[in-house]
Amino acid sequence: MDMQQTDPLSTTFAALADPTRRAILARLAEGEASVKDLSAPFDMSQPAISKHLRVLERAGLIEQGRQAQWRPRRLRAGPLRDAADWVIQYRRHWEESFERLDAYLRDLNDRQEQGKGDDDDRDPNRSR
Amino acid sequence: MTATRIDRGSTESTAIYSDGSDLVFERTFDAPREQVWKAFTDPDLIPRWWGPHGTTTTVVEMDVRPGGSWRYVSHAPDRDDVEFYGEYLEIDPPVGFKWTFLFDVEGVGPQGGPETFRFDDVDGKTKVTSIGHMGSIEALEGALASGMIAGALATWDRLAALLAEG
Repeated sequence: MDMQQTDPLSTTFAALADPTRRAILARLAEGEASVKDLSAPFDMSQPAISKHLRVLERAGLIEQGRQAQWRPRRLRAGPLRDAADWVIQYRRHWEESFERLDAYLRDLNDRQEQGKGDDDDRDPNRSR
Repeated sequence: MTATRIDRGSTESTAIYSDGSDLVFERTFDAPREQVWKAFTDPDLIPRWWGPHGTTTTVVEMDVRPGGSWRYVSHAPDRDDVEFYGEYLEIDPPVGFKWTFLFDVEGVGPQGGPETFRFDDVDGKTKVTSIGHMGSIEALEGALASGMIAGALATWDRLAALLAEG
């Protein structure tokens, strides 16, 4: 797993790329929980769940509480927000840039048509 | 067309899907290909459209040839300036180009990666395909999964704040 040094965001992404781990995070979003609680919904041994928890912990997505006996796990929101921000920003960047490019090209088109003295509106749905 | 294609929230105007570890956007513009090429590669035109709504863009550097650098600064009223930068890898006017698209995240370092743009002539209109190469299925799935559960983040923020008080 840690064969290569990766940047934190890649570690976050790798940790999130597993449905069991995402389900664990979703559960922890509701509040802290013990390993036993976290294992309950899964058809998986506690050691297997603990392995997933270690991956999440290394990625900084969860941490262990200090209560000595049952060591509840809880969520750390920061890294997850960084990961979500990246893809949300990326999508927004291109979707909205494309909208603006579309408007710019239409503008250009309109001006050229007017320049030719032919401003027939061939596309009545242009302002969708 | 490809078995690995998965829709990732296409909108009315824009097809958005993943293909392997690539995140793809497709949109058709009612303009000839040369004009679209120019919009992507002319430093005077970039500020006219580049960046999300509410932002403005300054072109600092734009050396459109293989190995050439580019750098844009994105301004917005509600945040600090963000610099986007990279290098042109392949240039094929007016068919397409490939560049690296990078930005720095504080405490993390440069993020992003290579991006390919393809411009296809479709009966006088131009289909633009942008392909973000995320590098691995893990990166793509992780990124999209984190985006999908982003709705929960507001709650999680509150939880984090609560824990910080702890």
